[in-house]
Amino acid sequence: MARVPARSIVLIALLSLALVAAACVAYPLYVLRPFRHQGATELAVALAIIQIGPWLSALSAILCLLLATLAWPWLRGKVARALAVASVLVAAAGCGLSRVNVYELLFHPAGQPQFESADRAKLDPDEMVIAVQANGGSRAYPIREMAYHHVVNDTFAGAPIVATY
Amino acid sequence: MWKRAAGGLILTFHLAGINNQNFLMRDDQTGTFWQQITGRAVSGPLAGSQLEFVASDELSFRLWRSQSGSKTILKPVAKYANDYETKDWDVRMAKVKTVLDFPDTGLRSRDLVFGVDAFGVSRAYPVKRIHAAKLIEDRLNGTPVLVVLGPDQKSIRVFQALTGSDYFSLTQAPAARMDTALFMDAATGSTWNFDGCAISGQLQGKCLKTVPALNDYWFDWRNYHPRTGIFKH
Repeated sequence: MARVPARSIVLIALLSLALVAAACVAYPLYVLRPFRHQGATELAVALAIIQIGPWLSALSAILCLLLATLAWPWLRGKVARALAVASVLVAAAGCGLSRVNVYELLFHPAGQPQFESADRAKLDPDEMVIAVQANGGSRAYPIREMAYHHVVNDTFAGAPIVATY
Repeated sequence: MWKRAAGGLILTFHLAGINNQNFLMRDDQTGTFWQQITGRAVSGPLAGSQLEFVASDELSFRLWRSQSGSKTILKPVAKYANDYETKDWDVRMAKVKTVLDFPDTGLRSRDLVFGVDAFGVSRAYPVKRIHAAKLIEDRLNGTPVLVVLGPDQKSIRVFQALTGSDYFSLTQAPAARMDTALFMDAATGSTWNFDGCAISGQLQGKCLKTVPALNDYWFDWRNYHPRTGIFKH
């Protein structure tokens, strides 16, 4: 039986580790993107990958770097070394991006909300707001603004609430 | 709108994904994913938990402003304000393709409905029907409800009606005030405002209970309320 060269095994391992780290980012992004139907199973898998992604991708990146470093003297040739470097870079990118909430790059968070009295607000009279009432007072969240930020963490009348749209 | 507390913790949420055009949010404290429309945790340490519902309305600004009491409103975030949706965003959104459709239901995917899930029944009231009728009387599992178009001809509320009476919309020009007489009950001749409170007649001072309702696209309401009916009378 022909022996598989050790160099090939190392390269396959490096590419596999890079693929694992990349999948920790790519698969959830692919599944949870807008304007796409999400099935129940793929949704569950994507959310599970997001949960474990940061440490799994970190582990893959570390192993990828260690392996590439240890095997470097035996990875002769430009192609082999380029693949090794590329694998480490991809794994590192996967590790980093798994810690980034891409959705908040697309849909910017409102941050700590600021409020003003109704008299000072400059809204068209027919603009719609989401309104909540408590203890004789009322708070409103303009829908045009909510349609951009989607989530506003607030405290109103002493109660922690989240406005969503 | 939800109370942002579960598992003994105050939670801070972030947008974290899309599930059939309804978004997922994730809390900082536990990393749990929550479905926006249901307030239910779908993945993570608090999976299966349910956020407490907080009643809210969609009102026109002028109608909201006409209410008594202290009123505060969210300020725009300066660096993003120029990117906020334009005033016709709902018109544009109505033309955007959906990823889910429910053909043969009598409604198109982006038809707007007021969805009610109360008294053991889910029912969608098409917004066009509400605008045409101004006031809809219905029964949910025998409980009388009223779906009422506001004095601004834009806002909509749902109330649990008193039994034993018919209700009539009072024809009027669009008005900006919450205390405008909006409908009348035939049994006592009392007139009622958009707060569901009687402002004249035998029942003056009495207020009807509001019933939570959600202004939603039909496809989204139907996806998360698979047993919903549609008001058709």
